[in-house]
Amino acid sequence: MNKEFKVLALPYKIWLGIFVFVPIIAMALIGISNLNSTVTIADLRITLSHFSILYQRSVLIAFRNSLTFAFATTLICFVLGYFVSYEIKRSRVKNKFVILTIVILPMWSNLILRIESLGNIMSENNILKSIIGFNLFGNISGTWMAVLFGLVFTYLPFMILSIYTALEKIDPALEEAALDLGLTPMMKFWKVVFPLSFKGVVTGSIMVFLPALTGFAVPKILSRGQIILIGNIIENKFIYTNYNHGALLSMIILIFIFGSILLITKFDKEGETLL
Amino acid sequence: MIEREVATLKDYGFRDYSKLVKAFNVVKRIFVVLIILGLYLSIIIIAIKSFNNSRNLSSFSGLTLSWYLEMFNETELMNAVRNTLIVSTIATVVATILGTIFAIGLYTLAKKNRVFWMLLNNVPILNADIVTGFSLMLMFRMFMVFFPNIFGLFTLVMAHLFFCIPYVVLSVMPKLKETDPNLMDAALDLGVKPYKALVKVLIPAIKAGIFAGMLLALTMSIDDFVISYFNTGAGFDNLSIWIYAVMGRRDLTPSVYAFSTLLTLFTLAGLLVYQFLERNKKGEKV
Amino acid sequence: MKKVVLFVLALSLSLTFIACNSKPRLRILNWGEYINDDVVAQFEELYDVKVVMSVADSNELFYSKIKSKTTAYDIVIPSDYMIEKMYDEGMLIKLDYSLLPNVTEVTYIDPVEQIFDSMTQTTITRTGETVDFREWGVPYFYGTSGLIYNNRIEGLEEALNEFGWAVYFESDNHFPNLRRGMYSEAEVAYAVTMFYLDNNPNVFSNDLLNQSKSVLQDASFIEWGNDSLKRNIEANNLDIAFTWTGDYLDRLYIQIEEGKEIDEVRALFDIYIPDTTMVFIDAMVIPYTAKNIEAAHQFINYLSDPEIAAQNAEVVGYAVATVEAFDIILSYLDSDDHWLRNWALANSLYYNLEIERTYYPLTAFNAQDIDKINSMIQDVIAK
Repeated sequence: MNKEFKVLALPYKIWLGIFVFVPIIAMALIGISNLNSTVTIADLRITLSHFSILYQRSVLIAFRNSLTFAFATTLICFVLGYFVSYEIKRSRVKNKFVILTIVILPMWSNLILRIESLGNIMSENNILKSIIGFNLFGNISGTWMAVLFGLVFTYLPFMILSIYTALEKIDPALEEAALDLGLTPMMKFWKVVFPLSFKGVVTGSIMVFLPALTGFAVPKILSRGQIILIGNIIENKFIYTNYNHGALLSMIILIFIFGSILLITKFDKEGETLL
Repeated sequence: MIEREVATLKDYGFRDYSKLVKAFNVVKRIFVVLIILGLYLSIIIIAIKSFNNSRNLSSFSGLTLSWYLEMFNETELMNAVRNTLIVSTIATVVATILGTIFAIGLYTLAKKNRVFWMLLNNVPILNADIVTGFSLMLMFRMFMVFFPNIFGLFTLVMAHLFFCIPYVVLSVMPKLKETDPNLMDAALDLGVKPYKALVKVLIPAIKAGIFAGMLLALTMSIDDFVISYFNTGAGFDNLSIWIYAVMGRRDLTPSVYAFSTLLTLFTLAGLLVYQFLERNKKGEKV
Repeated sequence: MKKVVLFVLALSLSLTFIACNSKPRLRILNWGEYINDDVVAQFEELYDVKVVMSVADSNELFYSKIKSKTTAYDIVIPSDYMIEKMYDEGMLIKLDYSLLPNVTEVTYIDPVEQIFDSMTQTTITRTGETVDFREWGVPYFYGTSGLIYNNRIEGLEEALNEFGWAVYFESDNHFPNLRRGMYSEAEVAYAVTMFYLDNNPNVFSNDLLNQSKSVLQDASFIEWGNDSLKRNIEANNLDIAFTWTGDYLDRLYIQIEEGKEIDEVRALFDIYIPDTTMVFIDAMVIPYTAKNIEAAHQFINYLSDPEIAAQNAEVVGYAVATVEAFDIILSYLDSDDHWLRNWALANSLYYNLEIERTYYPLTAFNAQDIDKINSMIQDVIAK
């Protein structure tokens, strides 16, 4: 069977080759040259002057914020996500598909509407308060807690899905064997279940870490414009058509991303079980 | 009748945690429900806003269904919705077909080769939206020299395909690995032509993976904002872009919240119906 | 398999059919919810054209969308300084006044004339060329700016009337616990600080930039945003913020629609328009990418009809640019209809030209200066 179908892969190789590499090369070029809409081919030259933005206070703060929030979000998502996934797996619920649907469903609503609504109820006077009389969140709108909450609950479904998929693949016979051999449920979890599910944890963590690191909508809306992440800076550069700086910052982020992809390959030699 | 004393755990020297464990389990269940509520908090607020009798976002002044009825009169909203449906449907259908074909092709490659290309396959998924959107736009602008009208539906669909196809490939690949290789060999031995065998034998075997991939692609495509933001043109704004732009000036008409709530309810209903049908099917088989 | 292929083919064909249409199209790039849908529908019927409305929320985005030519827009409605910039870069098509009979019959309101003149002035200074921008754009709405404030706070209104900008910026001297918000558009933030410092907002220097920076830092803003500012004032989550008068009126109109009288709303939140304030016009221009120039002229002509302009203003809080349209609105001051009466009242109160004010149109700075201002603001915000 194999020989005939090898040819099917060829178009995709070309597609991936073009769509993955060309944009990256284009971006790299713009980041290190003076190319913009007013420069002609003759005036084109390589320049490292754009690296000067890395000295800007706001950019450094943005990087610090991004890393902090991304790590914190990933950690919290890991704890909550693993907890939920494990409980779902252990439960006697017959139809796990329904539970998974429930987890994915919020992602079908527009992200901006969802974040705006969350921001709404985090303010002092909001629609929920006028119904139930008190403020569920106090007045954390505009603070780091608001952004953290928003980030965690936006990306939690990814973590739950990843870990759950990994947990489902564990042969229940292994767990029974562990219990038979005298391990307590707690030990069974740490010595048998958790290591086997680790791949899912890594995948889920990356799927939370990267968007949290680079997104701009959640911090912009929930922090009332006060907390700046690197995604906000890049969006800003784009709005003011400063493509050179934007491209350069994007390249730096790309390094993080490629690093993460390489990390995945360490845990999953085949790179095929992201889901 | 001889009365026997049943030994309890205590007699063996173990502590009796059973009541504690039961309580603990209840607490755990509550906690899970709380977390899921947290996920749905924003959806609930959107629903509340859709029934609000006033456009005021911070006070609830009574129930009304008028925003639901008004929904179809809001031209800009309906245009944005229509655009979203067009782009996402085309992208999903094409991505599913192409993704399945590509997955099959990749599956037949030698392991080292395959690993490399699967790595590249993961790039669109893991890459930050803003980087993907930005860089794709730059690339399309290079092509604009030859095709001046490229931006619009075409670039939007291409951009969506870029991140949808990998999801399909990732969903189909595990199923491919699970299928019995003898299946295809048997078909070929029986004299079926290779491509026909592919369609009649392999595809049904990986049906679940294809469906999952399609669903994933559709989900990612419908809600996409950043990538579409950078790669659209010719007034082809999808729902996310429209909402983001309108939030900048005036107020969001509550019909948007009505639409969003309806979409959520329909999807939930659709998936539940699908589950119901599946269960009936299984019942029949048995 | 064949069935699947046929189905997919049919689906894609029908979708492409929906996407294309046989009527001529008019592509407009506009601000969000800045036009009355009824007016658009009327236009479509009258001239048998399909209008495709695109939305963007900043002048910079207008510029980059036109510049990148990713879409062949026929009409775009940018603000004055962006029109100057687009003209400089040859991105506009001159208007054919023979196709705009309505425009020749109307009189522009004074601030609008002032803006056109000042645009000519700044262009002479910048490039030496004398341009009459009336030949390149027709005003759509004009607007002023001010400070929207929470009138539930004791003494705030009086303080503003007495001290003006100082109440907003000097968080140590006036109302230290006031929740202040600022507009997150670089040039606007810079201009507002210049007003406070009694400077011309259209002058840039590194020294002025530093002064602006310290003013912004002293103000201790708790929110930077655009649209969210006015909504938070209304919801009592913010106390004072920069806003465009038109944005304030948008919120006012919504309250009026729900049955309130103007005075009731003003008791909750109001707008203070200082003696020096920004003024701008958004005008309809035809970009160089336009395909349907004839329909573009028809649209511009249609919207310059005073009746239509007034109808448009029912839904948008900004000010009509022509005397004739303004008079139509004022004619409803004695109306029995709750909405019409309050609408006319709002216009007469907030677009009252008899009050002595200095109106400053904003001119565009060059790219490097804008980048510096932008970076300065990011530095102020970032903690």
